[in-house]
Amino acid sequence: MTHAALPPPAAGSRLRDISLYRALRAFPGLLRVGFAGAVAYRAEFLVWVLAYTMPLIMLGLWTAVAADGPVGRFGEREFSGYFAATLLVRLSSGAWVIWDLNWEVRQGTLQRRLLWPIHALLTYLAENLAALPMRLAIALPIALLTTLWLGPAIWASDPIQLAIVPLSLFGAFLLTFLPMAIIGTLSLWWESSVALYDLWLALYTVFSGYVVPLELFPPGLGRIVAWLPFRQMLAFPVENMIGLVSRERALHDLGIQWAYVALFALLAHLMWRAGIKRFAAFGG
Amino acid sequence: MRRYLGLVRVQVKAALLLALQYRLDFCLEVVMALLWSGTALVPLYVLFSIRDGVQGWTAEEMLVVVGFFTLLKGVLATVIQPSLAQAVEHIRKGTLDFLLLKPADAQFLLSTSKLELAHLADVLAGIGIIVWALTHLPGRLTAFGFLLALALLGCALMILYAIWILVVSLAFRVVKIDNMNYLIVSLFEAARWPASIFRGALAILFTFVIPLALLTTYPALALLGKAAFTHLVTAVIVAFGLLATSRLAWTRALRSYAGASS
Amino acid sequence: MLKERAVIEVDRLVKHYHVHERPPGVAAAVRSLFSRPTRVVKAVDEISFKIEPGERVGFLGPNGAGKTTTLKMLSGLLFPTAGSARVAGHVPFERKPEFLRSIMLVAGQKQQLLWDLPPAETFELNRAIYDLDRKAFRATLDELVAVLQLDGLLEKPVRQLSLGERMKCELAAALLHRPRVMFLDEPTIGLDVTMQAAVRDFIRRHNERHAATIILTSHYMDDVAALCPRVIAIDRGRLVWDGSLSDLVRETRPEKQISLKLATPVEPAELELAGARVLSHAGLEIKLQVSQAELPAAVSALLSRLRVVDLTVEEAPLEEVLSDLFARQAT
Repeated sequence: MTHAALPPPAAGSRLRDISLYRALRAFPGLLRVGFAGAVAYRAEFLVWVLAYTMPLIMLGLWTAVAADGPVGRFGEREFSGYFAATLLVRLSSGAWVIWDLNWEVRQGTLQRRLLWPIHALLTYLAENLAALPMRLAIALPIALLTTLWLGPAIWASDPIQLAIVPLSLFGAFLLTFLPMAIIGTLSLWWESSVALYDLWLALYTVFSGYVVPLELFPPGLGRIVAWLPFRQMLAFPVENMIGLVSRERALHDLGIQWAYVALFALLAHLMWRAGIKRFAAFGG
Repeated sequence: MRRYLGLVRVQVKAALLLALQYRLDFCLEVVMALLWSGTALVPLYVLFSIRDGVQGWTAEEMLVVVGFFTLLKGVLATVIQPSLAQAVEHIRKGTLDFLLLKPADAQFLLSTSKLELAHLADVLAGIGIIVWALTHLPGRLTAFGFLLALALLGCALMILYAIWILVVSLAFRVVKIDNMNYLIVSLFEAARWPASIFRGALAILFTFVIPLALLTTYPALALLGKAAFTHLVTAVIVAFGLLATSRLAWTRALRSYAGASS
Repeated sequence: MLKERAVIEVDRLVKHYHVHERPPGVAAAVRSLFSRPTRVVKAVDEISFKIEPGERVGFLGPNGAGKTTTLKMLSGLLFPTAGSARVAGHVPFERKPEFLRSIMLVAGQKQQLLWDLPPAETFELNRAIYDLDRKAFRATLDELVAVLQLDGLLEKPVRQLSLGERMKCELAAALLHRPRVMFLDEPTIGLDVTMQAAVRDFIRRHNERHAATIILTSHYMDDVAALCPRVIAIDRGRLVWDGSLSDLVRETRPEKQISLKLATPVEPAELELAGARVLSHAGLEIKLQVSQAELPAAVSALLSRLRVVDLTVEEAPLEEVLSDLFARQAT
């Protein structure tokens, strides 16, 4: 009877004990497979993209309003640029982890992820990130169309602000993904935690500048809203993209955005740890 | 007829039992439904703190449209969306066969297969909004206007139902269609404003491609005393036309149906 | 030479669940708005055993006996309520990466392959997740493809494969990282007879070649009989048998069964033999139960007294042995 030799421990085996290191090594493979999955679901993906009608509907309303006269510094052109940018930000920052997570907990297929020696949330992150190329493939033509329709002057002119754009979009993505992961983790305690996400989404709809530019809010409310994470999820990247904020303000908001990312990441990690303990105590 | 009413009663009772069992979820769903209806009012609130009207519509008049929108959205979410999701599941898993073996019309069974009672809150909220708006528009409501509005609302419901059946018939051919549900709802969002607000390309898209203007704007116009009999005629023609088309699509799809392979 | 430590050590493992009662009906539903009774379910009630490296062990028991719960505790998916377990030198529920790398779990009813993609993608995924060296990965994969006969299946989307093909791919995917311990939860469920035999064959050969320890739960007695020299029987959370299968049969139902085919029909009275019991008498085919001791005498008596066309002696079917075993526990 032969004994198969276990592969000898790799030279960096102590490094392997670090969760993040393991995840980083696995990421290329995870992203590749995630992308294959996204391509396999491309028909559904197209329907999802077509369903981003809200910015267009709001655009319809606000341009009609502006036709009678500008609102603040928003004329028809400014509103059009704003909501076109909103569509772009929404497209590039979409995630769906909460439904996956909730589904896997309820179906019991979460156990597959728990048997992997990689932090489950990081595997979800890879899957959601892997769809980015397809999203960008839709977003870029829309950006082009917007430029043709409204003229290139609609975009921010400051090079620093333009450089911030990808960072702000990635931050927006993480601020979409992480709260989803946190609320999804609640499924480990409470099956219908997805309902809480609805609440988050409702607050987002109002306070992120999705249905009305935050500038137009009454001043008292506006001050509070400026510090909420929702602004960093949409309004900041949008306003930066079309040059509605100064460079100083943009950098300042970027800092707040990533501070929120760090906060949510920590919260997600802690909640997941606690959730798994509870899940394992009460049965999968 | 009696048998079908009895079937509806059973479905409602089942939905009620489910709601009671997951009582916390039910309360939360009601709260959430109302919250979402509330968010629809936010842009209007901001708007009308700055302006008096848009394209000839005053705040109260727009609220009537929003009220109908909320009401119809409630109907969508209570009856149509859950059944659609259920139907798609059946088709995907091939378990539609069990439904087809039952001695009742398959289309009816599928239509009432699942109810989400929490969204009745939306229906009530919609009515509430309309009532509130009308109390601030004294003298506009007439008996004729009211009856016309009811008839137009009925047409709107029929149109929504017909679109639903068309989508399900489509599902027979394109199995992975779950997010069609989401698409319908997203497109329906355009019905929250009076149709005349959309200009240019958007107007064409939302008025002719999908008859959304009919759904909320017409009943609102009726209540505001601005609708004529011709509106009703158009609505009825579209409604019955769509219903007939959808029934045809359904029977066609059913005939070509083959259960999923194991 | 140091004796190799047992690869699995379980000591007085306990798992209790608290379950809310939900009676049907509207009135009860309304009542439940005010008070909800709970009760404790003892899924696993002090189980202890040791398994040496390279063993093949079968977990047997009726549905809900606690087999899957025990398996989940050994693979780290559940926390025990009390007691301890060590698998491959680790405490399972700490879920250390080294532990996770040394085990695998395949459940016949829960799929792990990515549904809309070809199995090759799942293999790639596992390669990335377990951080397998590319050359070693290719070598292992080639071996598995050859042994399991996966040629031509690797590039088809999983949803297009038959149940048996899917199961083979599941096994391959789970073995890419060369785990030392294999947990198999009803791996042959729903498969046709040929495929069941193929899977069994593969498992046994894998165990022989790679000395992987195998824990198997199954309702198919053929699985257990073919694969597991040692069985652990669990009933209502308690361990009722830990030993070899043949010992189990001998102690629980030591009687043999004689199947007779006669040339001419006989009266029941003629079948009266010392120590023999008629199990069934259908025309020309008869089944008798006889104790081990009386067997030689009974056989010669039957052969001399009756016109016998065919005679077979066999042990009681495993299903009956187990029913006996578990029924005995109930009394």
